[in-house]
Amino acid sequence: MSDNKPWLHGRKPGDRRVRIERPHSEFFRYAGPGQLVAREAASEPRTAVGQAIEKVRHTLFGRRLSIHEEMGERLSKKKALAIFSSDAISSSAYATEEILRVLVLAGAGALLLSLPIAIGIALLLGVVSISYRQEIHAYPSGGGDYAVARANLPGIFSLVVAGALLVDYVMTVAVSTSSAVEQVISALPNLVDIRIEIAIVAIVLIMLGNLRGLSESGSIFAIPTYIFAGSTLLIVVIGVFRVVVLGEHAPPPDPLPGAIDPIQGIGFILLIRAFASGSVALTGTEAIANGVPAFKPPEPRNAANTLLVMAVLLGVLFIGITFVADSFGIVPVDEPQVRTVISQVAAKIYGDNTILFYVYQAFTALILFLAANTSYNAFPRLAAILARDGYMPRVFSFRGDRLAFTSGIVILSIAAIALIVAFGGVTTALIPLYAVGVFIAFTIGQAGLVRHWLRERSAGWRKKLGINAFGATLTGVVFVVVLAAKAPTSLLVMVIIPVLIVVMLFIHSQYKASAEHLAMSEDAIIPAPRREERVIVPVPSINRAVVQAVNVARSIAPDIRAVLISDEPEEAALMRERWERQLPEVPLVIVESPYRALVGPMLAYLDVLDRTWPEDKEDPITFVVIPEYVARHWWERILYNQSANRLRSALLGRPHTVVVNVPYRREQDEDEPAPKRG
Amino acid sequence: MVEGANPNPIHKAVLGLNGGPTDELVVHLGCQLAKAYAAELVAVHVIEVTWQHELSDEMTDENLAASSVLDLAEGIADKYKVKLSGDLLQAREVAAALVDEAIELGADAIIIGLPYRKRFGGDFAMGTTIPYILQNAPCQVIVLREPVPVGGERRDNSDSLTAGAGLGLR
Repeated sequence: MSDNKPWLHGRKPGDRRVRIERPHSEFFRYAGPGQLVAREAASEPRTAVGQAIEKVRHTLFGRRLSIHEEMGERLSKKKALAIFSSDAISSSAYATEEILRVLVLAGAGALLLSLPIAIGIALLLGVVSISYRQEIHAYPSGGGDYAVARANLPGIFSLVVAGALLVDYVMTVAVSTSSAVEQVISALPNLVDIRIEIAIVAIVLIMLGNLRGLSESGSIFAIPTYIFAGSTLLIVVIGVFRVVVLGEHAPPPDPLPGAIDPIQGIGFILLIRAFASGSVALTGTEAIANGVPAFKPPEPRNAANTLLVMAVLLGVLFIGITFVADSFGIVPVDEPQVRTVISQVAAKIYGDNTILFYVYQAFTALILFLAANTSYNAFPRLAAILARDGYMPRVFSFRGDRLAFTSGIVILSIAAIALIVAFGGVTTALIPLYAVGVFIAFTIGQAGLVRHWLRERSAGWRKKLGINAFGATLTGVVFVVVLAAKAPTSLLVMVIIPVLIVVMLFIHSQYKASAEHLAMSEDAIIPAPRREERVIVPVPSINRAVVQAVNVARSIAPDIRAVLISDEPEEAALMRERWERQLPEVPLVIVESPYRALVGPMLAYLDVLDRTWPEDKEDPITFVVIPEYVARHWWERILYNQSANRLRSALLGRPHTVVVNVPYRREQDEDEPAPKRG
Repeated sequence: MVEGANPNPIHKAVLGLNGGPTDELVVHLGCQLAKAYAAELVAVHVIEVTWQHELSDEMTDENLAASSVLDLAEGIADKYKVKLSGDLLQAREVAAALVDEAIELGADAIIIGLPYRKRFGGDFAMGTTIPYILQNAPCQVIVLREPVPVGGERRDNSDSLTAGAGLGLR
């Protein structure tokens, strides 16, 4: 009978009841026969330091999320448009400028070609978007072009896509951040000396936002994205009205002395370069296809519709801005003060130095910062898929407390910061590396889909195949154009991608080899081990920690010996006398070490034991039981167990050897009486 | 649901669970009500102790099985994001213990299930527990009748019942 249960009285004398404690319920709940589910309390740190770190994490990133809350973290179309499209939509802020910067070299007359080029790029965007809509429906589990290539093409193609996309995601963060910083510097020129620091702070803030989780980052990023898109649409509408209805436009610019005829010779090459530069507008189009599982159900339908809205919005903004800039004769200005095309267009429509103008500039800078966020959703997901397939370290597939792929987010930030530092935070220097990888992914992804339709031959497959074949051809051509137009800097990407592929193949071969080594036949019945066991306890002296370790060793196997490595023969002799008196059943081996080494003689002793083992018997398992004193404070850790740590490190990987740590806590002093002397 | 539409809104409800097929239905209903009223739920399972034992005797097997019944209820509540605590009791009479516990907790409602019995051609046998609660509980009582199975076969309730294992429980 248990008397410590609380008796509760009912309304009638016989209706007493007893409340039963459920000791497990704090940490676990049963989920079925043989199955437990850990509660949040089970994951909470137990030590004071751990709890303090947890508090900081909680403040920075929010509370820990359970996997059951994942559906709540799925994105609505509105949030998804903000998260996945900020890169693509923000490119309308600089794509026109990239075209004009090239065309201006061909002379004032060439500037008129900016609109046809923008329309051409928008058509390309349309083709790519239609292709990606098909990809989303064909591969709703995400992974985008990588998944398509992996399923339909020889293995190397999927790695090419993966490498290209990884490079481009890093470039997106670096380019959009440095571009945003330039917008800030345009408004506040005094900050030019700390442009790299501003970029780093921005990347760290975006990283923290993403580590908090998908849904919250969507809420943070949705407002600026929609304000930018809305106010840019307003610029386009007002601009078109003023040009078309009111008939306002600038006189055609005077040709520059010595300007090149755009449709002849070198002028044609500049035209192609303008097209290549403007095609940065397409970067980020693939992000939605990569992140289909992040959408609320029905995932493929919601993703496809979001992609359609994004493509239409981007196309309208891009053509609209180019039309307004073209009509008002706006060209990029670098001297005496940097004036971006978008800022000049805004000044023309909202009025120079008005509040609306500054608000718009602020949101343009903000959207460019947030454009990096598209990569923060795409890169970690792709890295997780690659990790799951064994091409990247497995740590990339683990999700943190907030269900975010922590490692991918952190690595992306580090890589982008490194690029910004290396290129001094100058966008122009980074641009040639940008948008090369994404066209590789487009082309291979569409080619993979062509193969998919040929294999599947589902309803309407001919039409779908035709669209993807056209898309693959077109993006393939554009890839060559972009690569050639941005050479020689762009060729660096063609070096980085193969290096990444080699690294991924190396990782894959390592995982494959270890998996083959560890594999067990599913049919094998595992018998009990027959190998003999022996136990070695390295002892520095006789104390409570040592006695506890010896007692643990005794429970492992009867073949046990304590080993003292000593450079003081007299002390060792005293130790033997005491050992034989107090622990007579456990043999003590003293190894004198005149060179004062500890680890070396211990390893040598173990080797000698192995050599003396009878050859006709299977090698025994050697347990090395190491007594360890557990420090109560973090600073005590440097005072204790240094020799034990060295020995443990040296024993790692030794064949047929198992290291057992036996921790002794000071609290045990208070619980147990000291052994009597004598 | 608009609180004003119900003259007796629920702030705290006791769910009477017996490890039977209606437990899952009871917990789901309780969670839906709790979401609507922002109410607190207490799942109560009473182990009936026969007169051969002292009331406070360790009924180890029964306790572990009963605890798992409450855990499964908590698992369902987690999915609804509803606060549910488990209360495991030993008593001579299940009905009296449930009513007394509801009174002590200040519950506004007791929700209890009425299972369909397949034997003897299928029936809803009220037994003694439900009538006692209906007669003695001062709060609202919601009796959730299990749906009549199609063709007399009970639907699979494998998730709702049985003890787990893993902490020495079998």
